Amino acid sequence: MADRPDLMVDLGRGLRLRSPVLVASGTFGYGFDAPQVDRIALGAIVTKGTTLRPREGNAPNRIAETPSGMLNAIGLQNPGVDHVARVYAPVWASWNVPVIVNVAGDAIDEYVAVAERLDSVPGIAGLELNISCPNVANGLQFGVDPDQAAKLTSAVRAVTRLTLIVKLTPNVTDVVAIARAVEDAGADAVSAINTYVGMAIDVRRRRPVLSRESGGLSGPAIKPLALHAVWQVAQAVRIPVIGIGGIMTPGDALEFLLAGAVAVQLGTVNYIRPQAAHEVHEGIAVYLQEHGLRDLRDLPIRSASVLTHA
Amino acid sequence: MSIAVAPAVVVERSVPMAGAVELVVYHPPSAAAVNPGQFFQLAVGAPRTILRRPYSAAWSDAASGRVGFIFNVVGAGSAWLSQRDEGSELDLLGPLGRGFELDGDRPAVCIAGGLGIAVFLGVVQALVARGRKVTMLQGARMSAQLLPADRLPGADVRTATDDGSRGHHGSVVDLISSHFPPTFTGERQGGGIDLFACGPTPMLQSMIGLAQRHAVPLSSIQVALETPMGCGVGTCLGCAAPRREGGYLLTCQDGPCVRADRIDWDRMEDQFHG
Repeated sequence: MADRPDLMVDLGRGLRLRSPVLVASGTFGYGFDAPQVDRIALGAIVTKGTTLRPREGNAPNRIAETPSGMLNAIGLQNPGVDHVARVYAPVWASWNVPVIVNVAGDAIDEYVAVAERLDSVPGIAGLELNISCPNVANGLQFGVDPDQAAKLTSAVRAVTRLTLIVKLTPNVTDVVAIARAVEDAGADAVSAINTYVGMAIDVRRRRPVLSRESGGLSGPAIKPLALHAVWQVAQAVRIPVIGIGGIMTPGDALEFLLAGAVAVQLGTVNYIRPQAAHEVHEGIAVYLQEHGLRDLRDLPIRSASVLTHA
Repeated sequence: MSIAVAPAVVVERSVPMAGAVELVVYHPPSAAAVNPGQFFQLAVGAPRTILRRPYSAAWSDAASGRVGFIFNVVGAGSAWLSQRDEGSELDLLGPLGRGFELDGDRPAVCIAGGLGIAVFLGVVQALVARGRKVTMLQGARMSAQLLPADRLPGADVRTATDDGSRGHHGSVVDLISSHFPPTFTGERQGGGIDLFACGPTPMLQSMIGLAQRHAVPLSSIQVALETPMGCGVGTCLGCAAPRREGGYLLTCQDGPCVRADRIDWDRMEDQFHG
């Protein structure tokens, strides 16, 4: 039997994870609620989207199950950055798992203020910039325009020494252009992708199921779409790509790692099987062993067309 | 709180009343841990479904290691559950949330509309075990959809049906005013009751309106909320219910059983669409 493979991941700027399996923003709260999860088994926890001031979120109905997926329009309900820094971060500092705060906002100033408040706070390992929330007014404005995305990224880059991940939205014409723009603007990594905008209609009541009419689609329904986005982005940028989108099993995660992601985030599956992150981590380790690979870096495959043109 | 993820085994399936299914599962840790009003998230295997389904335990028996669930078929998930044969395994997550506060010595009045009756088998049993006087007001569309009173031993069961086929012809809420007008003078004048309620949102709103007109303190009413739910443990924030002071509480964490004065009933909507 070969040595146990190395599953360490380097996201840049000193943020090293012991596992490539993270839990995605909005599916794990602030790390305090999920039952029966061995936090030590996680590569990192990415928190609920956090804004400058507390937000109450959208009126019900906020979620709907759709074929092999779910829609959500929570509306960034969160206690605000001050509460996160004062109350949660000191607890995180005692945990043996990195916590990455997902940062959201309506304006560049707001993102910058949140990032400033979190810089140098013990217990916070990195920031994930949410430029792609489909469920609040103006939530998508920074994520769909390369110039805006770059402007926001450099403004936040200027005020934080933390590892800065930018979470991309798939609701764009060309996700690669946005990825390149935020890389050039100083992002340490990108996570791809956030939810796809979708909707469901209640035919009996003849109205949208969600109070906001549309919401973000997640779950296995979006996996092939997400995988393609990650495949494209991974070949276009040099910074690490974190793959997200409908991952339920070790095999799903391996597809993203083969597509060029250095790590993955599990989202919707956390609602269904709280122990999924642990199972996915173990499954990846077994796969590497069985294939005689010592390191995650041995995994990615390349596009045949790219190789031809190289 | 002990959270069970080991499989439970279906040991009995029956039809307790028209349009409903009762599944009895054997799962000693859950049977020992659950309090009346708490719920479990049941994994379902129906094609294309993904989320677990939240169901209150209808009753539990620690001695036999059994938990009962009573539900109706409203969609693919409940249809799948209704087809589980004896011997099949079920993946339960729970018990979750807050149950009812059952201690006290005032008369207890339970009021249920439709499948809201499901939670009261265990509630009535626990109230009776505490030596409390228990009245169970049960409403349904028609007689055949009423849970037989012998499933609620120790309670004085009164019924109402929309079609008048049994008991009061009309809403179950009418039974509060027709059977308990004197006690509704409120606790400040002595006496008073504790109300426990579960049912469709319009029924609950009508009950709250009646209570307010009779100056009954809403803090003496406990309601088992029913909202769509994603995770059941407080992470998805999908099960929001409007809070009286603004914003939202979470049915899964702050409830499902809450004091009625915590809810903004004017903003409460019937969220079910199935």
